[in-house]
Amino acid sequence: MGAIEGILTGFEVALSLEGILFVLLGVFVGTFIGMLPGLGPISAIAIMIPITYGMNPTLALVMMAGVYYGAVFGGSTSSILLNAPGISGTVASSFDGYPMAQNGQAGKALAIAAISSFIGGTISVILLMAFAPMLSSVAISFGPPAYFALMLLGLTAIASLSEGSTVKALISAVIGFMVATIGIDPQTGTARYTFGSTNLLDGIDFLIIALGLFAIAEVGYLIINRHKKSITDAKQLGSLKLSKQDMKEIAGPSGRQSILGFVLGILPGAGATIASFISYISEKRLSKNPEKFGKGAVKGLAAPEASNNAATSGSFVPLLSLGIPGSGTTAVMLGAFLVLGVQPGPMLMGDNPEIFWGIIASMYIGNVFLLILNLPLIPYIARVLTVPRPLLISLVIVFSLIGVYAISFSTFDLYLLLAFGVIGFLMRMFAFPAPPFILAFILGGMMEQSFRQAMTSSNGDISIFFTNNISLVLIILSVLSFAFPIIKSMRQKKQEA
Amino acid sequence: MLNNVNRKIGLVLFLISAGYLFMSYQLPTYPYIPVDADAIPKTLGWILLVLSIALFFSEDKDSEEQKAKRHIPKKDVKAISGVFVLALIFITLLEIVGFLIMTALFIFSSSKFLGYENNLVNAIVSVCFPLFLYSIFVFLLNINLPQGVMPF
Repeated sequence: MGAIEGILTGFEVALSLEGILFVLLGVFVGTFIGMLPGLGPISAIAIMIPITYGMNPTLALVMMAGVYYGAVFGGSTSSILLNAPGISGTVASSFDGYPMAQNGQAGKALAIAAISSFIGGTISVILLMAFAPMLSSVAISFGPPAYFALMLLGLTAIASLSEGSTVKALISAVIGFMVATIGIDPQTGTARYTFGSTNLLDGIDFLIIALGLFAIAEVGYLIINRHKKSITDAKQLGSLKLSKQDMKEIAGPSGRQSILGFVLGILPGAGATIASFISYISEKRLSKNPEKFGKGAVKGLAAPEASNNAATSGSFVPLLSLGIPGSGTTAVMLGAFLVLGVQPGPMLMGDNPEIFWGIIASMYIGNVFLLILNLPLIPYIARVLTVPRPLLISLVIVFSLIGVYAISFSTFDLYLLLAFGVIGFLMRMFAFPAPPFILAFILGGMMEQSFRQAMTSSNGDISIFFTNNISLVLIILSVLSFAFPIIKSMRQKKQEA
Repeated sequence: MLNNVNRKIGLVLFLISAGYLFMSYQLPTYPYIPVDADAIPKTLGWILLVLSIALFFSEDKDSEEQKAKRHIPKKDVKAISGVFVLALIFITLLEIVGFLIMTALFIFSSSKFLGYENNLVNAIVSVCFPLFLYSIFVFLLNINLPQGVMPF
């Protein structure tokens, strides 16, 4: 199937009545959950997975993609209105968005966020249409050594680019990988770390990890902050209208930063957070009035918004074309694919073109929905922020528990969920980033499998990873990404001395 | 010696990695398999051991905001523990009493415990939310949730 034919198939899926309904539902629910304090796209996707059981995989995944960028948009809303970003990717949006809201221009700030997100989404979806098939056709020739090296790069990159201590990020990734080794080894049938329990023979379901480390762990901090005042009247947003001058100011940064955001989104480990910060800083440097940044500058809000949205689409490139997630959120998306019996990767475009192109087309449709439907509805959706925290906490716990119960029908898994909730809470408390954990957990099984396949094909000769050009380059990149923070910290120490 | 938080965590992780490594060396191995079931666990165990030592000797570079996150007031510790215990009770009795009753009881008691004063709204949400979830899962998605003592 050619690209044009593929795009048309995708729009046929996304523009069908069911397609439109599910995109709309995904975007709406995503915005709703993403707006809740602390709950970002990872929690939103994980919470929605049980709802997709038994659904048509194409429509389910189209909806999940909607949940993803809806949650990013929702996160921007709470960044602007409350200075409480739902996710780290929207922190930069609060720098100028929140001061605008404080100046009584919350509506205008939300409109700027929505329009620049739309521009970011549109440009990046066009780039996604071009890049994903290209990468798929290259990746089809990847053997196990290259796949192993690629996943290794994904892990080292996310660990070295995480906020805070690299050692802690690496520990988080290693423990995630260790948890992935629990259960029966598929190659030899050996039970590993099951402690004689039959409940652990199949390993631990990724939903338990995702909901435990993100949704349940966040509940702990929601409890601590339960008395914090939420906004009392979501109606006081001001006008959503933008002037011609505002539109002019949005155009440049949105266009530039969309491309930058997309490129950074493709890179493993980078993602929306880094993209939005780099965009904010670069736009400030380019600006003739950098002193306005941080005080409610239109460009200061448009740049990170376009960029984080474009990075979201960019992160789908490695997921769809290589089957390898480059971030915690796309790792959970990969989990959603697998739950629905769909294996993303180079074969997806050929085997399930309706899914591959349907998701891409739905992203475009979703962006349109975000702009024309969600934006006017924001004053109403924002009422979710007025839900009393104690009630919200109880509902999040119930939703997470029942989501896990619905996949396993086992109370043992619910105890595990609570245990991972405690682990996630302690990780937050002591600044261990959770995304490397979930990424390593999801990639762990695949990495081990690729490693063993490569070693079997070479009769146990490890040099196979260095004689294959692609894997050699990827391993060098992994080493470099690993060495980067070490060199950086050594330089810092030298400068301090 | 353990005056720094990284040292305490480093020590705990060292013990975890030692335990994990011990168990990985107990895993059976088979002939003619280039990479056996114990290879990756052993590698991971050693990596964690090295990283735990690195953490033990590293400075605590967390930001002030991050450090503030570590200090949880006693009343909040009590609140978190209380909700945790309620969740444990919910899980333990879920299959015996049933989804509808347990969920309603959990939402009401946990919200009340966390300081929500409006009993009427709390009661309405506690009854309506489980009914809504039950309808979605059982009638729409054909996923059975525990009936318990209820007839449906």
